Formats: sequence, structure tokens, C-alpha cells
Amino acid sequence: MANTKTKFSAIGGNSPGYLLLVTVLGLLSLGGFWSAYMMFLHGHYMTGMTNAIPWGFPIVMAVYLIGLSAGSLVLSALSSVFGRTEFKPLARISALLAALLLIGALMAIILDWGRPDRILVPFFSMNPRSMFSLNGMLYSTYIGICFVYLWAMFNDREKLVKLLGYTAVFWAVLVHSGTGAIFGFVGARELYHSPLLPPSFIAAALSSGTALMIMVLYATFKLTGRKLDDELIRRLGFYLTAFIAVVAYFIFIENVTRSYWPGNYAVQKFLLLFGNKYSLIFWIGMIGCGLLFPFIILANPATGKSVKWILFASALVVTGVLAERYIIVIPGQVMPMDMFPGYHITGPFQDGQLTGYCISPMEILFGLGITSFVFFLYALGLKFFAMMPDKAVIATGEKE
Amino acid sequence: MSELDRRSLLKMGAAAIVGTVIGNGITLYAAPANAGEAAAAAGGNALEVPPKGKARWGMVIDNNKCTAQCTACTAACRAENNVPVFGDERYDGHWIRKVTLTPERGGPEKHLPLLCNHCDQPPCQHVCPVAATFTRHDGIVMIDKHRCIGCRYCMIACPYKARTFVFKETTEWTNKDVPKRAHGVVEKCTFCAHLIDQGKLPACVEACGKSGEAAMLFGDLNNPESAIVKYIRAVATKGVREDLGLEPKVFYTGI
Repeated sequence: MANTKTKFSAIGGNSPGYLLLVTVLGLLSLGGFWSAYMMFLHGHYMTGMTNAIPWGFPIVMAVYLIGLSAGSLVLSALSSVFGRTEFKPLARISALLAALLLIGALMAIILDWGRPDRILVPFFSMNPRSMFSLNGMLYSTYIGICFVYLWAMFNDREKLVKLLGYTAVFWAVLVHSGTGAIFGFVGARELYHSPLLPPSFIAAALSSGTALMIMVLYATFKLTGRKLDDELIRRLGFYLTAFIAVVAYFIFIENVTRSYWPGNYAVQKFLLLFGNKYSLIFWIGMIGCGLLFPFIILANPATGKSVKWILFASALVVTGVLAERYIIVIPGQVMPMDMFPGYHITGPFQDGQLTGYCISPMEILFGLGITSFVFFLYALGLKFFAMMPDKAVIATGEKE
Repeated sequence: MSELDRRSLLKMGAAAIVGTVIGNGITLYAAPANAGEAAAAAGGNALEVPPKGKARWGMVIDNNKCTAQCTACTAACRAENNVPVFGDERYDGHWIRKVTLTPERGGPEKHLPLLCNHCDQPPCQHVCPVAATFTRHDGIVMIDKHRCIGCRYCMIACPYKARTFVFKETTEWTNKDVPKRAHGVVEKCTFCAHLIDQGKLPACVEACGKSGEAAMLFGDLNNPESAIVKYIRAVATKGVREDLGLEPKVFYTGI
């Protein structure tokens, strides 16, 4: 390491801009909690969920936030595990954000329960065969690891930091595989049941997480008036390009495999060709915003070196992966399960119908609120702990 | 409010608290006070209940006898189990429902009831994070509504759409022997376990018999002398999506 030891400090947090930001985020969080309380009080009919679509936007948000935390953790581990010391100044804020995003995800899951007041039940009554139960254990231990990791970094326990870095990366693989498995292990639904979901979930987690970190780092350094080396953004942009390519590969393989076999023609036509909102979200959101446009921007030398373009590509990826999470969760429920092959089924329980799902305002408030709460805590974390480096620059000797 | 009123109210409150603390789903069901007598009084629908752990309840539905208009089973189920109707097909509870099958190649329509298949390999139970879904000693898959957190993973995992979420507070409480449906949890068919424990047939089966169609046959799959086992040996039956390997215990003839 060529440069001297990075100095970390807390931000002042007294400027009108900071106070305004915290107030707005706090109010949005309150809106989210209010919507969760309304759902609990009156029932889930206030959401777009139905008996045919029991999982709606809160679950989309939960898996999205879980995915976003991956990028932060990997960024944090780049220095401690992969020896990329130039990222060391960013290790603290990314470990903090990794933990907070996972806390947000857990909150989204729990507040989406019909009975969130039974929060203590999972601690006393577990089912090791349930991916939800296993993930509950994985998520909470992961949050714990992140905080111990942060503590070790604050106290300069170099060896412990390295050990925890390895543990956190290994644990992150489990967390994201487990999240993909929530859907991939369900044999009842054609669009869920896939052994590719756990690895492709990791890949999309890495791409969205890296993209989010690029944006958050840029904004944080800009707003606190500290210097962030453009070269760091470019290097993260390079990782992002690679992650996008891996996600694209997984999505390609999964859909080609499903489309090949005649038994799946109906379900693939519904997902890819019908022109309903699901295929629009698939093509424009997931493929366009999540993969194609950002890849072109990042891979093109004319735009891929520009910080502004990298930021734009990151914003596209963050949006596109939200669309991808939506495509994982929702269409698998909209497509009716074929209980009687060879028959068309009709009945009072919306049998045999492509049932509609529309995100309700309540759920938008919920998703916005949980996300705001994550960044509300992040802003507070920066104020009360020495998270921010004075600057994040690559020493001249290290430049390539 | 008079003193007496307040006292009785307090008592009710205390009873409710005790009920919640000891309650774990089954115990709150009405106890079989007069098991044999009630069944005998009802006449002809008594169920031979073997000792605990010996039975494996199953059902056969003869699709050739089930007709389009009849809703005896669904109505009886709603009345017996207080299954809520909100007047909105998105939220209505269904423990048993009648569906119509139209062959894609053409041909006569079929009408049949669908209910929980009480699988021997229940995916709903496998995915339940808090083990609120469990299999009883006699093979009935049940939900402990006091433990369910309402995460709805079981509804995602069940290929039969046998489970419904209670989307709103319910007001219907026609049968006081069975608890009112609990807002915020997932519920489903219990094979009328509370009636079986009293030596009675499930409400749907009894109603089907009374309607004259007698398309449903309920009994112990472990008892080689039971009518259901004899029927299964004599007539070809089939479970819904048996290819999924869940080993359902509701069989159909004529599908």
C-alpha cells in the first residue's frame, strides 16, 4: 500500500441540505410504516395481492434489497479479501450499507406478513426444510457478521478483518443462493422451478449491488465535499460490465431451455410474447434497462470511461434489476398452474385464468418507505460514526 | 356500565387470554363431548375411528355422479367451518370449490369439487417457516392458526390452490363449535378433523350423501375392510397431478 493510512471521520451533518435529506427520508419512512400498519390493521386487500397472487410488491422489494446488499459487501471485501487496497477507503460505508439493506429486506418481509405481531414465533418455531426459515437464520447472522466486520475495521484488527471478509463473502453466497432458492425450489410453478435461480440471483445481486454502490458513493462523496477518484468509479464500472454479462448469460440459458420444450410453449409465450405488461417489463425493464443499454454504454470506450455515463448506466441497472425481481416473483403466480393437463378449467377461485396483479399505492408507499428507511439509517450512520474517508484516491504508483 | 357487566367483561377477557396462551390450533376445537351418541343420533353417517395413529383418512370422488348445479358440498363446508365470502372472487375463502373441466379437444364437460389433498408429502408443510402446518397422526394436514405468521409461502408452494388467505376481518360465525376464521393467516380444509374426532363424516361428504348424488366416499385408507379401500380396489381412481409426487389422499374416478 503506497499511500499512508486512510483517515476516517464522521460527517458534520449540520448543513441544511443534510437536515432536509434526513427529514425527507424520515417522512417517507413514516409513510412506509403507516402503510404497513394499515395492511396489518385492515388486511392485505389494501394491496394488489389476491388469493391467486399471494406475493406482491413487498416480496419484490425484499428480494431486491437483499440483492442490493451483495454489491456493497463485495466492494467491502475487495480490499480485505481480494487485495485491491485502492478500495479500502470505501470498506466501511459499504459494510454499513450491506447491513442496512439487509435490515430493510427483513423489515419488508416481516411487515408483509399477515401477522407481523408474531415476530417472535420464528425464533421459537423453526423448520429447517423451509427456505424462509433457513434464510431467516442466514439473513440475521449475515447482519451480525457485517456489524462485527465493521467493528473490526473500526478497531484496526487487520487479521480479524481479513477473516471476517472471507466469512462475509462465503455467507453472502449462502444468503443469495438461499434467496434464489425460495423460488427455485418450488416445484408447483413452472416459472419458479429452476436450479438456475440461486446462481442467477447471485449474479443479478452483484450487478445491481455494484451499480447501487457506484451511485451511492458518488452522491455521498459529492454531497460531503470529499474527493472520490474517477478511476475508482471506472474500475467499479468495469466490474459492473462483467456482472451484467453473467446475468445476461443466466437469463439467456434459462429462457432458451424453457422455450425449447413444447410443454413450456404456453408459459414462455405468456412471458415473452403476449405483449402484456409482464412481457413489457421483461423486455424493456429487465433486458433493456438491466442488461442491454447499460452494457452498451459501459462497453463502448467513448462512454464507458465517462463518470457521468457510468452513473447513468448504474441507474439503468438498478432499475432493470428491480424489473428482474418483479419478473421472478409475479409472472410465476399470474400464470395458472396446470392442474388438469388437456382440460380447460373454470371455477370460483379464478381457476385457469391469467389473474391480474396491479401494484397498489399502498405497496408503492411501503416499498418507498422501507428503502427510505435504509438510507435514513445510512445518513445517520455517517453522522454518528467515523465512516467516511477523507478522500478516496488511487496513489499515483498504483495507477495503471 | 354496571358493576356486573364490567365483571363479566373482565371474565371474558381473562378467558380470551387463557385461550390464546394454551391454544395451539387443535385444542381450541370443540371437544367431542358426546362422541358416539351424536354420530348415532345423526344416523347412518357414523365413522369408525381407529385408535390414535392407526388411521389414514382419504376420500374418493366419483366424478360421474357429481353434477354441474349441485353445490351441497361447498355450502356445507362454508356453514360448518365459517369459511368467509367477501363477495369478491379475489379474496373469498375456498376450502372446497366446484370447478368445470372442458376438454381441449372437445367432449362433455366434467364437474368436480377440489379441496386440500392432504398429501403425504405436503409441500405447504415443507415450506412453512414456523412449522405452523403439520400432519396429524391420522394423515390430515392442518394449520395451527395461532402459530401461522401469514407469510403465504404455503400458498405459493401448493399446486392445488387449496389454501386461501383471510384478507379481512371476518364477521361470519355460523357454527360456534368451530372458531371464526382468523384475519391475517392462511387457512384451508381440515377434512373436518373436529367432526372426525366425534366419529362423524366431514361436512362436505355428509352433504353430498344427503343431496342424493353420493359422489363422495370418505374413510380409512389403512383399513382393508373400509368401503373406500374396497372401492379403490374395484374402480380405477386417480389423484390430481399425481406426477408431482406429493401422494395426495383425495382420489377421483372419471377424470
